[in-house]
Amino acid sequence: MMNGWIGNILNVDLSEGKITTESTEPYVDDYIGGRGLGLRLIYDHYVPGTDALDPGNPLIFNTGPLTGSAVPGSGRVDVTALSPMSNLRAKSNFGGYWGPELKYAGYDHIVIQGKSEKPCYLWIKDGRVEIRDAEKLWGMDTFETQKAIQNELGDPEIKVVCIGPAGERLVQFACLITETGDAAGRTGMGAVMGSKNLKAVAVRGSGGVNVARPEELLELSVQVNKEIRENPAYLELANWGVSRSIPMMYEHSFFPVGYFEDVCWEDIMENYQGIEFMEKYQLKSLGCFNCPGRCMSFFSHPEIGKGVTSCEPFSGFTGAVWNLDMDVFWEATVLSNRMGLDGTETSACIGLLMELYHDNLITPGDTDDVVMERGSKEAILTTIRKIADRDGYGDLLARGQMAAAEKFGPEAVEKVDQIKGLAPHAYEYRAYKGTGLIAAVGHRGDPLPLRSSLLEFDWNMSAEWFQQVAKEKYGSEEAAIPTSYEGKALPAFISEHMERVADNLGICKWVYTLFVYEDAEMPTRLFNLVTGKDWEINKLLKVSERVRNLERMFDVRQGLRRADDTLPKKFFEQALSKGKFEGEVMDREKFELMKDEYYDLRGWDKMTGIPTREKLEELGLGDVADEVLGV
Amino acid sequence: MIKTLIVDAGKCSGCRACETICSLKHEGVCNPAKGRVHVVKWEQKGTFIPINCMRCESPACEAICPKHATYRNYTTGAMEVDPYLCIGCMSCVFACPFGATFVDPDDGRILKCDLCDGDPTCVKVCPTGALTYEEISKETYLKLIENAGRIPLLVKEAIGGEA
Repeated sequence: MMNGWIGNILNVDLSEGKITTESTEPYVDDYIGGRGLGLRLIYDHYVPGTDALDPGNPLIFNTGPLTGSAVPGSGRVDVTALSPMSNLRAKSNFGGYWGPELKYAGYDHIVIQGKSEKPCYLWIKDGRVEIRDAEKLWGMDTFETQKAIQNELGDPEIKVVCIGPAGERLVQFACLITETGDAAGRTGMGAVMGSKNLKAVAVRGSGGVNVARPEELLELSVQVNKEIRENPAYLELANWGVSRSIPMMYEHSFFPVGYFEDVCWEDIMENYQGIEFMEKYQLKSLGCFNCPGRCMSFFSHPEIGKGVTSCEPFSGFTGAVWNLDMDVFWEATVLSNRMGLDGTETSACIGLLMELYHDNLITPGDTDDVVMERGSKEAILTTIRKIADRDGYGDLLARGQMAAAEKFGPEAVEKVDQIKGLAPHAYEYRAYKGTGLIAAVGHRGDPLPLRSSLLEFDWNMSAEWFQQVAKEKYGSEEAAIPTSYEGKALPAFISEHMERVADNLGICKWVYTLFVYEDAEMPTRLFNLVTGKDWEINKLLKVSERVRNLERMFDVRQGLRRADDTLPKKFFEQALSKGKFEGEVMDREKFELMKDEYYDLRGWDKMTGIPTREKLEELGLGDVADEVLGV
Repeated sequence: MIKTLIVDAGKCSGCRACETICSLKHEGVCNPAKGRVHVVKWEQKGTFIPINCMRCESPACEAICPKHATYRNYTTGAMEVDPYLCIGCMSCVFACPFGATFVDPDDGRILKCDLCDGDPTCVKVCPTGALTYEEISKETYLKLIENAGRIPLLVKEAIGGEA
């Protein structure tokens, strides 16, 4: 019997209808669990050359040793597969209540391979696994699907993660949804699940997570709970969600406006209705399993409906599509969640069409007579429906922004802003250089937010204070100064490792690396109390480094090189036109120097961006070096 | 003055911290199914209701127990079960009008809230104030204040005036 981990990895082959299990234990010392262990599983199970929508692409769900424990914020699950968007390793993380329930049902990880002949769903209850018919569920939205499964199985406490119509129709950026808006949003996991004819994974268990040192864990969990609740950032989130901080993000040119077209949008700063909307429609604020943080707003709008939202759709369906009508924001959010579409990529698709229309590169004739005017309600809502239905121009967008742009011509292709096949995280990289570095070298097109990117934003609030923080934590005051290119590699390196500690353990990175705790000390203490291990912080951070390098090697095996670690050319060519960072642009040469510094720290070859054999062997990844670099 | 656990379901965010911490405190394991409190959830409506022993004045669990294993702890007011007398017939589970008497899914033991001997752990981790531990007199006093505004109207009504 293990403490923390359940000890079982479930293997499901949908083609053969075969179900087997293996032990988690052999992996935990090197990869811990969650994201890290899932990474080793995908590295081992994925056969190079397999297409993302081919039955051979493994879809893997990963909980960590702390998921489902009394540790506050322990509701997280990491999902991986090959991404249909980038042809690199996919990674997306969701909260809610599904992960803990999976552990109570008896498993740490699920590896799903093959393809069911007919629509099906997976039903896991207390160690029993069944592949069930989902013919009747096919076509249902994500809210209906969850209810229908609970009704069919006669238990309202069953937790379901599922795809909507978008995933069934293999929309490249379809996502997974659980509850009313907790999503494995990015990298197209919904399309991979849909390609397997798998509608949902339903779990229910009466087991628990064993704890090595229960009395001490009880005491520390109560303390952590209190510290989260009393933290100013969480007081803000629990009372106001992200609604009050949105105008500030625009004021400091941190959130881009439109398709990275503008910054510091006067309209949104003057006429932002988010706070009024919140006061009117927020029923309460909610969090994930065992989290006092409650960073999500549960809105109840009489005409549009109910559900939760957090940061990303807030900017995606407002500033990113030039929209100030909060009803449209909410309708777009609910629609995307019900259809099972990634809000970030969806809003970027709309933003792209609006820019193409604005620049006269497309006409309404290209978009089924929908006028793609900036901020248009019809343009926003119709486009979402059409993507989910794969109808008309929506079918083009469903194949990805680049595929759609290619259809519209070479000038349209030039407009596409993506990093490694994904819409970039909606931060403005021209002013925030370190944030730009993280985005470029990251493990997926959107590796943000990380602590050091938020540090650059925090600098706006109190420059001197945060420069001191930067000096103490990341070695130089410059690390905090957004427009400086100096000292940015080390904070990126440290932040990447911190994030992986949280993801490997199955706890929330917002709580443990961004807002309340900003280093790995508390996660390490909690990890030791739950698992009974006696690890130093550096041992957990070493696992993070191993994970970072193996992630890179997976992608190197897929053909990724230094040249792919870049930003859309707009960031190098078009300076910011206004705002406090007016005139800022990413200097290509200095950007490449930041990358050099980063690769040096990582022990990666500067020419190619590939980890060196020496580094891989130091991390115990000699087998990976042999396979990818050659013996 | 005696204190008791008060549930204000309207405030509950459904996080289940109470269930999890309860199981850790009483069973040394993190397993909501072994908690003495349970949150019933309608997540698509945003409605969450924590269910916990109501410590009834005339408890059905006590009356129905054939072995007199269920008894009131007069220090805390909690209804507790003497494990040495309990025969596991589960009469109390079925008699409880609130579904607030729980059973260990592994061994069938009765799980009943003992208010942690007067210092309930769940209250310490409840982030919204949905669970509080308060003096009973304070609660009744608050109810009185709440109703006080209505009293003149009721009096007027009684004497035949305009309400």
